[in-house]
Amino acid sequence: MLVDFELIERARSGDDSAFNQVVQTYRKRILGTIARLIGRPEDVEDVGQEVFVRLYYSLEQLRTPEVFEPWLYRLTVNAAYDYLRRQRRRQESRMSDLSEQQVVLADAAAGGKKREEEERRTRIRELVDSLLGQVSEEDRILLTLKEVEGLSLKELEKIYRVNENALKVRLFRARQRVLKAYESRQQ
Amino acid sequence: MDRMKEQDKLEALFAEYRAACPDPEPSAGFTPGLWRRIEARRSSNLKVFRMLAQVCVGATLALTVLIGLVLIPRFEQAPVASTTYADALAAEHPNTYVDIFAGEIK
Repeated sequence: MLVDFELIERARSGDDSAFNQVVQTYRKRILGTIARLIGRPEDVEDVGQEVFVRLYYSLEQLRTPEVFEPWLYRLTVNAAYDYLRRQRRRQESRMSDLSEQQVVLADAAAGGKKREEEERRTRIRELVDSLLGQVSEEDRILLTLKEVEGLSLKELEKIYRVNENALKVRLFRARQRVLKAYESRQQ
Repeated sequence: MDRMKEQDKLEALFAEYRAACPDPEPSAGFTPGLWRRIEARRSSNLKVFRMLAQVCVGATLALTVLIGLVLIPRFEQAPVASTTYADALAAEHPNTYVDIFAGEIK
Protein backbone atom coordinates (compact mmCIF):
# COMPACT_ATOMS: atom_id res chain seq x y z
CA MET A 1 0.00 0.00 0.00
CA LEU A 2 1.31 3.41 -0.96
CA VAL A 3 -0.89 5.19 1.61
CA ASP A 4 -1.97 4.30 5.13
CA PHE A 5 -5.40 2.98 6.01
CA GLU A 6 -6.27 6.08 7.98
CA LEU A 7 -6.00 8.27 4.87
CA ILE A 8 -8.29 5.91 2.96
CA GLU A 9 -10.76 6.00 5.87
CA ARG A 10 -10.71 9.80 5.86
CA ALA A 11 -11.23 9.92 2.10
CA ARG A 12 -14.06 7.42 2.45
CA SER A 13 -15.78 9.55 5.04
CA GLY A 14 -15.84 12.49 2.62
CA ASP A 15 -12.59 14.36 3.40
CA ASP A 16 -11.69 15.92 0.03
CA SER A 17 -8.13 16.80 1.01
CA ALA A 18 -7.52 13.16 1.97
CA PHE A 19 -8.96 12.09 -1.38
CA ASN A 20 -6.65 14.58 -3.08
CA GLN A 21 -3.66 12.99 -1.33
CA VAL A 22 -4.76 9.56 -2.52
CA VAL A 23 -4.97 10.91 -6.08
CA GLN A 24 -1.51 12.49 -5.84
CA THR A 25 -0.05 9.23 -4.59
CA TYR A 26 -1.61 6.86 -7.10
CA ARG A 27 -2.10 8.95 -10.23
CA LYS A 28 1.29 8.24 -11.84
CA ARG A 29 1.03 4.51 -11.32
CA ILE A 30 -2.56 4.40 -12.55
CA LEU A 31 -1.74 6.51 -15.60
CA GLY A 32 1.14 4.13 -16.41
CA THR A 33 -1.13 1.11 -16.15
CA ILE A 34 -3.78 2.78 -18.31
CA ALA A 35 -1.16 3.77 -20.90
CA ARG A 36 -0.11 0.14 -21.23
CA LEU A 37 -3.68 -1.14 -21.19
CA ILE A 38 -5.09 1.14 -23.87
CA GLY A 39 -1.95 1.97 -25.86
CA ARG A 40 -3.04 5.52 -26.74
CA PRO A 41 -1.05 8.20 -24.93
CA GLU A 42 -3.38 11.02 -25.93
CA ASP A 43 -6.33 9.47 -24.07
CA VAL A 44 -4.50 8.29 -20.95
CA GLU A 45 -5.31 11.32 -18.78
CA ASP A 46 -8.95 11.26 -19.81
CA VAL A 47 -9.34 7.61 -18.79
CA GLY A 48 -7.26 8.28 -15.65
CA GLN A 49 -9.60 11.07 -14.58
CA GLU A 50 -12.56 8.78 -15.20
CA VAL A 51 -10.98 6.18 -12.88
CA PHE A 52 -10.59 8.71 -10.06
CA VAL A 53 -14.08 10.13 -10.60
CA ARG A 54 -15.47 6.60 -10.24
CA LEU A 55 -13.29 6.10 -7.18
CA TYR A 56 -14.64 9.31 -5.63
CA TYR A 57 -18.24 8.22 -6.06
CA SER A 58 -17.74 4.59 -5.07
CA LEU A 59 -15.33 4.97 -2.18
CA GLU A 60 -18.08 4.77 0.42
CA GLN A 61 -18.91 1.27 -0.84
CA LEU A 62 -15.41 0.06 0.01
CA ARG A 63 -15.78 -2.49 2.81
CA THR A 64 -12.31 -2.15 4.33
CA PRO A 65 -9.26 -0.03 3.46
CA GLU A 66 -7.21 -3.26 3.11
CA VAL A 67 -8.84 -3.98 -0.23
CA PHE A 68 -8.31 -0.45 -1.55
CA GLU A 69 -5.60 -1.27 -4.12
CA PRO A 70 -7.40 -4.20 -5.78
CA TRP A 71 -10.50 -1.97 -5.77
CA LEU A 72 -8.61 0.82 -7.53
CA TYR A 73 -7.16 -1.65 -10.04
CA ARG A 74 -10.63 -3.00 -10.67
CA LEU A 75 -11.90 0.50 -11.43
CA THR A 76 -8.88 1.03 -13.70
CA VAL A 77 -9.51 -2.21 -15.58
CA ASN A 78 -13.21 -1.40 -15.99
CA ALA A 79 -12.49 2.13 -17.27
CA ALA A 80 -9.86 0.81 -19.70
CA TYR A 81 -12.24 -1.91 -20.83
CA ASP A 82 -15.03 0.63 -21.41
CA TYR A 83 -12.61 2.81 -23.36
CA LEU A 84 -11.43 -0.08 -25.56
CA ARG A 85 -15.01 -1.12 -26.26
CA ARG A 86 -15.92 2.45 -27.24
CA GLN A 87 -12.89 2.55 -29.52
CA ARG A 88 -13.87 -0.70 -31.17
CA ARG A 89 -17.37 0.64 -31.69
CA ARG A 90 -15.94 3.70 -33.37
CA GLN A 91 -13.94 1.32 -35.55
CA GLU A 92 -10.87 3.43 -35.34
CA SER A 93 -7.71 1.93 -36.63
CA ARG A 94 -5.26 1.72 -33.77
CA MET A 95 -2.37 0.83 -35.99
CA SER A 96 -2.66 3.87 -38.22
CA ASP A 97 -2.92 6.13 -35.18
CA LEU A 98 0.09 4.50 -33.60
CA SER A 99 2.03 4.93 -36.78
CA GLU A 100 1.37 8.66 -36.66
CA GLN A 101 2.51 8.69 -33.08
CA GLN A 102 5.66 6.79 -33.98
CA VAL A 103 6.46 9.33 -36.65
CA VAL A 104 6.15 12.13 -34.10
CA LEU A 105 8.28 10.24 -31.61
CA ALA A 106 10.90 9.43 -34.21
CA ASP A 107 11.05 13.07 -35.25
CA ALA A 108 11.38 14.18 -31.66
CA ALA A 109 14.21 11.79 -30.88
CA ALA A 110 17.43 13.63 -31.31
CA GLY A 111 20.82 12.27 -32.35
CA GLY A 112 22.52 8.87 -32.77
CA LYS A 113 22.28 6.53 -29.78
CA LYS A 114 19.34 8.19 -28.16
CA ARG A 115 17.52 8.03 -31.43
CA GLU A 116 18.43 4.38 -31.94
CA GLU A 117 17.25 3.50 -28.47
CA GLU A 118 14.02 5.38 -28.99
CA GLU A 119 13.51 3.61 -32.30
CA ARG A 120 14.07 0.23 -30.67
CA ARG A 121 11.56 1.07 -27.93
CA THR A 122 9.14 2.29 -30.53
CA ARG A 123 9.46 -0.97 -32.46
CA ILE A 124 8.81 -2.99 -29.29
CA ARG A 125 5.81 -0.85 -28.37
CA GLU A 126 4.46 -1.18 -31.87
CA LEU A 127 5.00 -4.93 -31.96
CA VAL A 128 3.41 -5.62 -28.57
CA ASP A 129 0.56 -3.22 -29.23
CA SER A 130 -0.15 -4.91 -32.54
CA LEU A 131 -0.01 -8.37 -30.92
CA LEU A 132 -2.36 -7.28 -28.15
CA GLY A 133 -4.53 -5.56 -30.73
CA GLN A 134 -5.21 -8.94 -32.32
CA VAL A 135 -6.80 -10.46 -29.22
CA SER A 136 -9.96 -9.48 -27.36
CA GLU A 137 -10.09 -6.59 -24.88
CA GLU A 138 -10.43 -9.13 -22.05
CA ASP A 139 -7.29 -11.00 -23.11
CA ARG A 140 -5.38 -7.78 -23.66
CA ILE A 141 -6.20 -6.44 -20.20
CA LEU A 142 -5.57 -9.72 -18.41
CA LEU A 143 -2.23 -10.29 -20.12
CA THR A 144 -1.11 -6.71 -19.57
CA LEU A 145 -1.92 -6.89 -15.87
CA LYS A 146 -0.11 -10.21 -15.45
CA GLU A 147 2.82 -10.00 -17.84
CA VAL A 148 3.49 -6.28 -18.04
CA GLU A 149 2.22 -4.86 -14.76
CA GLY A 150 3.53 -7.91 -12.93
CA LEU A 151 0.46 -8.50 -10.76
CA SER A 152 0.36 -11.81 -8.94
CA LEU A 153 -2.41 -14.36 -9.33
CA LYS A 154 -3.58 -13.50 -5.81
CA GLU A 155 -3.91 -9.84 -6.77
CA LEU A 156 -5.69 -10.77 -9.99
CA GLU A 157 -8.07 -12.96 -8.01
CA LYS A 158 -9.13 -9.95 -5.96
CA ILE A 159 -9.54 -7.78 -9.05
CA TYR A 160 -11.45 -10.29 -11.15
CA ARG A 161 -13.20 -12.00 -8.23
CA VAL A 162 -12.62 -15.45 -9.71
CA ASN A 163 -10.53 -18.30 -8.34
CA GLU A 164 -6.91 -18.96 -9.20
CA ASN A 165 -7.59 -21.98 -11.40
CA ALA A 166 -10.08 -20.11 -13.57
CA LEU A 167 -7.55 -17.31 -13.93
CA LYS A 168 -4.80 -19.74 -14.91
CA VAL A 169 -6.99 -21.20 -17.62
CA ARG A 170 -7.90 -17.75 -18.94
CA LEU A 171 -4.26 -16.67 -18.86
CA PHE A 172 -3.12 -19.81 -20.65
CA ARG A 173 -5.68 -19.31 -23.41
CA ALA A 174 -4.86 -15.62 -23.75
CA ARG A 175 -1.13 -16.43 -23.98
CA GLN A 176 -1.82 -19.06 -26.64
CA ARG A 177 -3.75 -16.55 -28.71
CA VAL A 178 -1.00 -13.95 -28.49
CA LEU A 179 1.60 -16.59 -29.24
CA LYS A 180 -0.32 -17.62 -32.33
CA ALA A 181 -0.41 -14.00 -33.48
CA TYR A 182 3.31 -13.70 -32.73
CA GLU A 183 4.14 -16.84 -34.71
CA SER A 184 2.06 -15.81 -37.69
CA ARG A 185 3.77 -12.43 -37.63
CA GLN A 186 7.21 -14.03 -37.65
CA GLN A 187 6.42 -16.30 -40.60
CA MET B 1 10.51 -27.17 -27.67
CA ASP B 2 9.95 -24.44 -30.23
CA ARG B 3 6.76 -23.54 -28.42
CA MET B 4 8.72 -23.09 -25.18
CA LYS B 5 11.22 -20.89 -26.97
CA GLU B 6 8.40 -18.79 -28.36
CA GLN B 7 6.90 -18.51 -24.87
CA ASP B 8 10.24 -17.34 -23.48
CA LYS B 9 10.54 -14.85 -26.32
CA LEU B 10 7.07 -13.57 -25.56
CA GLU B 11 7.88 -13.15 -21.90
CA ALA B 12 11.07 -11.27 -22.77
CA LEU B 13 9.09 -9.12 -25.17
CA PHE B 14 6.58 -8.22 -22.47
CA ALA B 15 9.43 -7.32 -20.12
CA GLU B 16 10.96 -5.08 -22.78
CA TYR B 17 7.56 -3.56 -23.45
CA ARG B 18 7.27 -2.71 -19.76
CA ALA B 19 10.64 -0.97 -19.90
CA ALA B 20 9.72 0.82 -23.12
CA CYS B 21 6.52 2.21 -21.60
CA PRO B 22 7.43 4.08 -18.43
CA ASP B 23 4.69 5.62 -16.26
CA PRO B 24 3.84 9.00 -17.82
CA GLU B 25 4.07 12.15 -15.73
CA PRO B 26 0.60 13.57 -15.11
CA SER B 27 0.10 17.02 -16.62
CA ALA B 28 -0.41 20.07 -14.42
CA GLY B 29 -4.07 20.12 -15.39
CA PHE B 30 -4.76 16.54 -14.29
CA THR B 31 -5.97 17.18 -10.73
CA PRO B 32 -7.89 20.43 -11.46
CA GLY B 33 -9.52 18.66 -14.42
CA LEU B 34 -10.43 15.75 -12.19
CA TRP B 35 -12.16 18.02 -9.66
CA ARG B 36 -14.04 19.76 -12.47
CA ARG B 37 -15.33 16.37 -13.61
CA ILE B 38 -16.29 15.40 -10.07
CA GLU B 39 -18.22 18.66 -9.67
CA ALA B 40 -19.82 18.28 -13.10
CA ARG B 41 -21.01 14.76 -12.23
CA ARG B 42 -22.27 15.94 -8.85
CA SER B 43 -24.34 18.71 -10.45
CA SER B 44 -25.61 16.39 -13.15
CA ASN B 45 -26.63 13.89 -10.43
CA LEU B 46 -28.41 16.74 -8.66
CA LYS B 47 -30.09 17.70 -11.92
CA VAL B 48 -31.34 14.15 -12.39
CA PHE B 49 -32.57 14.06 -8.78
CA ARG B 50 -34.29 17.42 -9.22
CA MET B 51 -35.88 16.25 -12.45
CA LEU B 52 -37.12 13.07 -10.77
CA ALA B 53 -38.53 15.11 -7.89
CA GLN B 54 -40.30 17.41 -10.37
CA VAL B 55 -41.70 14.42 -12.24
CA CYS B 56 -43.00 12.97 -8.93
CA VAL B 57 -44.57 16.28 -7.90
CA GLY B 58 -46.13 16.69 -11.36
CA ALA B 59 -47.52 13.15 -11.32
CA THR B 60 -48.99 13.68 -7.84
CA LEU B 61 -50.66 16.91 -8.94
CA ALA B 62 -52.03 15.29 -12.07
CA LEU B 63 -53.41 12.39 -10.03
CA THR B 64 -55.01 14.78 -7.56
CA VAL B 65 -56.67 16.74 -10.37
CA LEU B 66 -57.83 13.50 -12.02
CA ILE B 67 -59.34 12.25 -8.78
CA GLY B 68 -61.02 15.61 -8.34
CA LEU B 69 -62.46 15.58 -11.85
CA VAL B 70 -63.57 11.96 -11.97
CA LEU B 71 -64.51 10.95 -8.45
CA ILE B 72 -66.07 14.07 -6.95
CA PRO B 73 -68.85 14.39 -9.60
CA ARG B 74 -69.65 10.69 -9.07
CA PHE B 75 -70.09 11.24 -5.35
CA GLU B 76 -72.31 14.20 -6.06
CA GLN B 77 -74.56 12.14 -8.37
CA ALA B 78 -74.97 9.30 -5.87
CA PRO B 79 -78.47 9.22 -4.25
CA VAL B 80 -78.50 10.83 -0.87
CA ALA B 81 -80.54 9.11 1.82
CA SER B 82 -83.58 11.17 2.74
CA THR B 83 -84.46 9.23 5.87
CA THR B 84 -82.45 8.44 8.95
CA TYR B 85 -80.82 5.08 9.49
CA ALA B 86 -83.29 4.15 12.23
CA ASP B 87 -86.29 4.93 10.02
CA ALA B 88 -84.90 2.93 7.12
CA LEU B 89 -84.23 0.00 9.43
CA ALA B 90 -87.74 0.15 10.87
CA ALA B 91 -89.26 0.22 7.41
CA GLU B 92 -87.32 -2.82 6.28
CA HIS B 93 -87.90 -4.94 9.40
CA PRO B 94 -91.33 -4.32 10.87
CA ASN B 95 -91.01 -5.38 14.49
CA THR B 96 -94.17 -7.42 14.95
CA TYR B 97 -93.00 -8.96 18.21
CA VAL B 98 -92.91 -5.59 19.86
CA ASP B 99 -96.33 -4.77 18.44
CA ILE B 100 -97.80 -8.02 19.83
CA PHE B 101 -96.18 -7.34 23.15
CA ALA B 102 -97.66 -3.89 23.20
CA GLY B 103 -101.11 -5.41 22.53
CA GLU B 104 -101.58 -3.70 19.24
CA ILE B 105 -101.85 -7.01 17.33
CA LYS B 106 -104.14 -9.66 18.60
